[in-house]
Amino acid sequence: MTTPDFGADRLKLVLVGGYLGAGKSTWLRHQLYAGTFQAPHLIINEAAELAVDDAIFADRYPVTLLSGGCACCDGREALLTALRQLCDQRSRAAGPQGRTSLAVLETSGLADPGAIAQALRADPMLAFHLALSETIVLVDAQNGAAQLASEPLGRAQIEAADRLVLTKTDLAAPDDTARLIATLRRLAPGAAITADIRGEATALPDAIDAAPLPLAKDDRAPIQPVQITLPEGLDWAAFAVWLSALLTAHGNDIVRVKGTVQTPAGRLLLQGIRTHVQPPEILPDSDLARDGTIVLIGRNIDAERITRSITRFAAPLL
Amino acid sequence: MCSSCGFPSAPGHWTEAGAPTPGDRMRARFRRAQAASVLLQAYGLTARDDGAVPGVQLSSRTGATQIVPDFDAVWTEAARMAGQPIDPLSDRFLDDA
Repeated sequence: MTTPDFGADRLKLVLVGGYLGAGKSTWLRHQLYAGTFQAPHLIINEAAELAVDDAIFADRYPVTLLSGGCACCDGREALLTALRQLCDQRSRAAGPQGRTSLAVLETSGLADPGAIAQALRADPMLAFHLALSETIVLVDAQNGAAQLASEPLGRAQIEAADRLVLTKTDLAAPDDTARLIATLRRLAPGAAITADIRGEATALPDAIDAAPLPLAKDDRAPIQPVQITLPEGLDWAAFAVWLSALLTAHGNDIVRVKGTVQTPAGRLLLQGIRTHVQPPEILPDSDLARDGTIVLIGRNIDAERITRSITRFAAPLL
Repeated sequence: MCSSCGFPSAPGHWTEAGAPTPGDRMRARFRRAQAASVLLQAYGLTARDDGAVPGVQLSSRTGATQIVPDFDAVWTEAARMAGQPIDPLSDRFLDDA
């Protein structure tokens, strides 16, 4: 057996999501122009039968168009097929020069990125060839507040994000934007928030004192971040077992897991979305490391019970 | 995957990361089975990894044994054997001192 490869040479996939009209295509087009993504293969998903977006990009980068079904539900099979083909072409390339190393998926406005991440994980081929590197979700500063007040889907998208990008902040009042930012911080406490106007970075208004907005009626408890400090003497192997048990039992309540842990191989970066944990990456050592602290973001997480549970795991084994 | 030479290598379950040498991997396998048993014994089950058979062996007190490939499968199969979900936050585990 060879050593398991945890994502070193896989096709990296960036998900770009956000509600209908959030400005995904505009943003992506500018990022391509600015060279944020190196030689990407674009995958554009439109829920409508009639596709428009591919025409914008087709002359510069290879584009796969998936129209007539949203990639998180009806069009899931089409997305998986397209990604498998891409991985297949990559494997056939003669050398590293001909290989695509990055794919960027622009989801339809109706897609839940969390559902896509789960579908990728469940696919027997893609599990070997693909690594989801980042989920970027765009939020329209002008209409985002109204969408959050009426659409549970808008919330699901935000909860799945690693990075939130506010768009159209020039069209919204700064106070409204500040309230929207406060709301986003509450929904996705672990995600970085930036603002871009037509793709150009711009400053965020100060949202220190802003009150969060009322949200779409959701009977579930609010999402809260919980920090867990790992007990002394708990090794990585035991912690991994504990976390996999926790996610299997409570994966629907835990939206995100993030943290770094020390292992025999060095520092590992752990990142999870719901029950799916990405293959951990080895990080360089740094002085800023806060190893041994894990952030769980989700609903109904009882920090006291979690601490008791993990302490029992760390206790000398009988 | 080719069953003769193992190419390409399986990506492995995320719980298996962080073990660079074969020795580390073997130690981690024993350690994981041991740690899983801490939780599973509250449900009348044990996990064993003898280092020879690929995967983890789950056994119940009545002698039923199942071999499962990774830690996602451990918890789903253990839940089936125990007749209830395996929950590290349950009273059953926390009060089972």
